[in-house]
Amino acid sequence: MTDTIVPAAPVAAPAAAPTRRRRPYRVGRAGRGWLATRTALLLVGAAITLFPFYAMVVLSFKPTGPVTFPDSLLPWPFSTEAYDQVIGAKSVLRWMWNTVVYSVVSVVGVLLFASMAGYAFAKKRFPGKEAMFWSFLAMLMVPYHVTMIPTFIIISELGGVDTYWGMIVPTLANAQAVFLMRQFIASLPDSLFEAARLDGCSEWRVYVSIVLPLIKPILATLGVFVFLWHWNDFLWPLIVGQSLDMRTLTTGIASLQQENVALNMLLAGSVVAFVPIFTAYLIGQRYFQEGVATTGIKG
Amino acid sequence: MVALPTIRRRRVRGPSAREAGTALLFVLPFLVLFALFRFGPAIAGVVLGFTDYTIGGDTGFVGVDNFRRLADDPTFWSALRVTVVFTALSVPMSMLASLGTALLTRRAFRGAKVFRSVFFLPVVTSLVLAGVVFSWVFADGGPWSRAMGALGLPQQSWLADSVLVVPALVLVAVWSRFGYGMLILLARLQEIPAELEEAALTDGASAWQRFRYVTLPQLRPALFFVAVIETTVAVQVFDMIYVMTGGGPVRASYSLVYLLYDQGFKYFDLGYASAIGVALFVMTIVVALIQRLTLGREE
Repeated sequence: MTDTIVPAAPVAAPAAAPTRRRRPYRVGRAGRGWLATRTALLLVGAAITLFPFYAMVVLSFKPTGPVTFPDSLLPWPFSTEAYDQVIGAKSVLRWMWNTVVYSVVSVVGVLLFASMAGYAFAKKRFPGKEAMFWSFLAMLMVPYHVTMIPTFIIISELGGVDTYWGMIVPTLANAQAVFLMRQFIASLPDSLFEAARLDGCSEWRVYVSIVLPLIKPILATLGVFVFLWHWNDFLWPLIVGQSLDMRTLTTGIASLQQENVALNMLLAGSVVAFVPIFTAYLIGQRYFQEGVATTGIKG
Repeated sequence: MVALPTIRRRRVRGPSAREAGTALLFVLPFLVLFALFRFGPAIAGVVLGFTDYTIGGDTGFVGVDNFRRLADDPTFWSALRVTVVFTALSVPMSMLASLGTALLTRRAFRGAKVFRSVFFLPVVTSLVLAGVVFSWVFADGGPWSRAMGALGLPQQSWLADSVLVVPALVLVAVWSRFGYGMLILLARLQEIPAELEEAALTDGASAWQRFRYVTLPQLRPALFFVAVIETTVAVQVFDMIYVMTGGGPVRASYSLVYLLYDQGFKYFDLGYASAIGVALFVMTIVVALIQRLTLGREE
């Protein structure tokens, strides 16, 4: 009986969160007030967070004309005019394709090269290993904008301006991906690889049929983020993809904006650019959120 | 089994040489990419700062001329000021929002996951899209100016005002970034042993005291991590300024990376742009040291 009056710390709580929820002192009047306050604060926060998305969608379905506030936030008058124009007259579909190529090829490339290197760094001994690893680490300190200019000069000398490869290849040198791979692979027991090797598997065979299936979780997490970075990337595609046909969705929409295209068309373009990443977020939410929580990977 | 011949050949060279050889093959693709597009450019980026490199022109070393020019360039000092003010405002505000939402969604209640997903949504949204929508939000007669009017403040476009433009950009940055810090802090909050707070509670500590003396010290490393990441992001602000203000009005929102972009890719003065990159690098190191000495110190 005394337990209910003086809340004692549970000696061995099996799962922390549910136990804490059932703590007796949470049920008091003060507790209920706090719960109401919390809900109210969260609802206000969520409304502020979601408002720009709501505005983006609603205003994109307006006929061209002056946008007034607050009445333009109503769903009517409804018109798909902006979508017809932005998809028909402007190159949005072409930019969408460019963005897909830029993102998907980069994901495959980064995952392949980073997992190969990560495997070697985690499980192999070779000369220069420490020096290489430290140089990767040191380079993370150098701001991207310092390396961007020489990288552009190299790509430009090689004739890579306005090409897919010129845009993609430099982004494959992702040291952060190698770190994450190395960390993950290092946690796998050596015996898994040894057994295959004793069976006479080549190193490539070990990598393909043992390493790759085992690192699926980190491949998914990293893949989701590499996709996100490339889909939303701006400065590098702005520099390398200079012609109208080589723009991505982000640089294309920015260029429309500089042409003073009507707001409903800009927002229709934005919705087109947002829907794929939003769908990916809905499906792969777990990977996005756990990826940040467990690896601290930059969103 | 497939690759027996290779193994037999390599056995002659002894196990460590064989291991080193295959390991290097696994590292090689990444190493080449890294040397060509990260390591080389990082060094070249610093060296270029001491040249007058322009695309297609003659190149020569000019010593510290670029840096002398920087020191005499009022545009550089104003861009530096804009960047510092933006960072100094957006990082603490975004961290406060992260902390607030993390504490509010900390417990496992119904809907907690939905709120977390909503708060993280802006992080996966491109700043170009955000910039397009927020240009409307902050426009004259838009929601923000109306809200200010309702509060009795002057009803005007913040983006067109040379004092208010940076605070407007800060609000967009906070909206776009706080979800990331929230997830990092949540991960840490979940690890804090329940016993600590239970003990403080039995000792009669108030909610504020429990937060101040139990939770906050436990969060310190995570807060430090978020501060470092958010500072790097803020110092490199470019995308949303490009879309929302173009650096205006009259350079009032012209950031360092914007200056670097203009000098390098509008005027093709790549030597001078590299010098700006070096300045950015130095600034990153100084800020990292300050953070290490203040936030990162051991208690």
